[in-house]
Amino acid sequence: MTAPIPFTVIGGFLGAGKTTLLNRLLAGAEGRRLAVLVNDFGALDIDGELVAKHGGDTIALSNGCLCCTIGDSLVATLLALLERSDEFDHIVVEASGVADPGRIADLATLEARLHRDGVIVVVDADDVQRRAADRRVGDTVLRQLKAADLLVLNKIDLADDPSVVRTWLDGQSMAPVLEARHADVTLALVFGLDQHGVSQSDGNPKPFRSWSYSWPDPVDRSALLAMLDEVPSHVLRAKGIVRFADSADRRSIVHMVGRRVDISEDGSWPGDVESRLVLVGTGAMLHSFERE
Amino acid sequence: MSTVVYSARRIITMNPNLPFATHVAVRDGRILGAGPIESLKGWGKVEVDDRFADKVILPGFVEGHSHAYEGGVWKFPYVGYFDRTSPDGALARGLKSIDEVVAALQAYETKMPRDGSTLLAWGFDPIYFGGRRMNLADLDKVSAARPVVVLHSNFHVLNANTPVFAKAGITRHTNVHGVVKDEHGEPTGELQENTAKFMAYKAAGVELAAILSDDAATWGFAKVAQLAGVTTATDLHNTLPDSTVAAYLAASASVDFPLRLLPAFAAFSMPPDEGIARLKELAKKNNERLRFQLVKIITDGSIQGLSARMRWPGYYDGTPNGVWNVGPDEIDRLLLAYHRAGLQVHIHTNGDEASEVAIEAVERALAAAPRWDHRHTLQHAQMADAGQFRRLKALGMCANLFANHLFYWGDVHYAKTLGPERAERMDACGTALKLGVPLAIHCDAPVTPIGPLFTAWCAVNRLTASGRTLGEAEKISVADALHAITLGAAYTLKLDEELGSIDVGKRADFAILDDDPLAVPPEKLNDVGVWGTVLGGRVFEAPRV
Ligand SMILES: [Zn+2]
Ligand SMILES: [Zn+2]
Repeated sequence: MTAPIPFTVIGGFLGAGKTTLLNRLLAGAEGRRLAVLVNDFGALDIDGELVAKHGGDTIALSNGCLCCTIGDSLVATLLALLERSDEFDHIVVEASGVADPGRIADLATLEARLHRDGVIVVVDADDVQRRAADRRVGDTVLRQLKAADLLVLNKIDLADDPSVVRTWLDGQSMAPVLEARHADVTLALVFGLDQHGVSQSDGNPKPFRSWSYSWPDPVDRSALLAMLDEVPSHVLRAKGIVRFADSADRRSIVHMVGRRVDISEDGSWPGDVESRLVLVGTGAMLHSFERE
Repeated sequence: MSTVVYSARRIITMNPNLPFATHVAVRDGRILGAGPIESLKGWGKVEVDDRFADKVILPGFVEGHSHAYEGGVWKFPYVGYFDRTSPDGALARGLKSIDEVVAALQAYETKMPRDGSTLLAWGFDPIYFGGRRMNLADLDKVSAARPVVVLHSNFHVLNANTPVFAKAGITRHTNVHGVVKDEHGEPTGELQENTAKFMAYKAAGVELAAILSDDAATWGFAKVAQLAGVTTATDLHNTLPDSTVAAYLAASASVDFPLRLLPAFAAFSMPPDEGIARLKELAKKNNERLRFQLVKIITDGSIQGLSARMRWPGYYDGTPNGVWNVGPDEIDRLLLAYHRAGLQVHIHTNGDEASEVAIEAVERALAAAPRWDHRHTLQHAQMADAGQFRRLKALGMCANLFANHLFYWGDVHYAKTLGPERAERMDACGTALKLGVPLAIHCDAPVTPIGPLFTAWCAVNRLTASGRTLGEAEKISVADALHAITLGAAYTLKLDEELGSIDVGKRADFAILDDDPLAVPPEKLNDVGVWGTVLGGRVFEAPRV
């Protein structure tokens, strides 16, 4: 069986900058063939330079990526896409402005051919608190924030006082926050583009860092989970291949996006190798975060 | 140019100048006149046809809110609680316990090819089984090898067997919204919402939507409508892919196709400028039995699905407010675009917050682009109160209320979702008429069966499945209910000048009934038999099975 395809959902209210983020991703996804499902018809506003040819509801892009509109049913479109899964390496869904992106990400949990990666919620720094207070859409906005694994606090330059909205956001969601203007985030980090999670800075505006750990002996599961639970807020992802003490003959894949940890087994432990874990994040070195 | 005069026990015309008649003359598919035979003879030579002499003739019924999927679902076995008529006229018996459902599926399963293909059934509704829910073990009795999927009547929930769960890897550790678990944390076999939809599509193959609207499904829908006396029906939400358009064009090209079909274009499926262009292009292909002219916007979910957008104080049992399928800003944008293009928009709103948002969107569209006689229609509007009906009236809007809900889900609304007071006034036909809002009533098939006489019975008697009367004050008369399923519904589709009553020059579309709906006791209205229909002067007798 081939490895499952990473599945990312971009959520966020109307006008937050989801399409801007998507266009950055499409332009910057070198060597990575993306399939993008756009739930918001008005938003299939793909950078003209990327467009190679039209074909029905699908637009093939010159960089090997593929865009389609979801039309009536995300489910039907996604299943049809999976029939041609050899044509891409990663699926990204742009949820509609009122959708709960967590519910969309659930589909990856139900589908063996998919691997649930992150729920990225884009937030308009200048507008989010007003939307959240609206009696008709406030609950929709708050549900989106709660569903996020990573929050992109966009249009930070337009916010009157960024610290106010940051503080407010911390009260709404556990997810780490990346500040951005025009959705200028470090793509590799947000989307986990490098499969092994290990890469040096890709030259984008905010360089990121990684810290790797290895253990020669089987690892205590609860100790590792506790360690991940306590990582500083600027650690955004973790990826590891670990031999747990409680299933020492199995190869366990540890995957963290934001504060959401998934552990799955994908085969038997390949003998005399060390368990490895890589954390990736922004900002300073992890002073206080000592190796286990 | 032949002229046929049909004699009848009674003709109920919906024409106030001549409310009742004994004869109706038909020429070139249109109504030449009604009245006593003497008054029709002046038109020249007529041929008198007495085959309806002991029948009662009404204008053909108009179903303002149904879906053509009703014709497609019959490719799969029906396992609902209530009796239901299939397109070939056969009665599918209601199944009164989970064991009966299992037994019926076992019998069906033995006739399926031994190729491991999925058994998909539909129409199941556990609310009538005293709290007992279907579980994995029930459906494992149908087959422990073949995937078995049972869709509930609302199409948003399903039950499956262990092979389906095993293949999807759903266990007690699966932390996904919509996987129902028991008190020990084990999955019960029930899946809801997106999760249910995903598994249903996987089980049935991704072509499910296509299967449900192909050529055979289109014919099936027309036939099941014909059996209920319907001559005009909507397919009230369709993205209209080329394959569906081709099926509709092919079916409606035949003079034997017994229905005038009005698909409503799903506004959310493409940008409005493209959608408007597409709809105008499709309208050029209109024929006598197919009319592209309607637009549909879906706003919220459903009340019983706990996804309706409600105003304060929300769900009676404290369930959080529902979800927007299309949010308020987008409703504004879509509505304004289609409104400016001169099209009529039908807006699905179940909860009263959704109705409020839709009403305000129409208000803003009218301020931005004043327009007369737009007839934008709220579909369902189940929780609309008197204030909202006053606004509908003031804005020139129509209401198509979901009267069948009173019977099928009224008890649930009373006890759980709305509570007594709002359940009593839901689907407020009485208020709508009192305030002069143009009114239609509907079935939303396949959610509930198509049958305007039953829908009228619901609006007249307001009885729930358990026999409770919901809202004495909102009952309407039989005459008003018959108007709502003929001329009233035609008005909401802008077809009232062409059909909906028996009047000179209109299309010769009739419902042929075995009894007089105005003479039977109102509580027996749903027992009135339908002999068949006449469409454009062609007679379509319902098959007797
Ligand atoms: Zn609806
Ligand atoms: Zn409907």
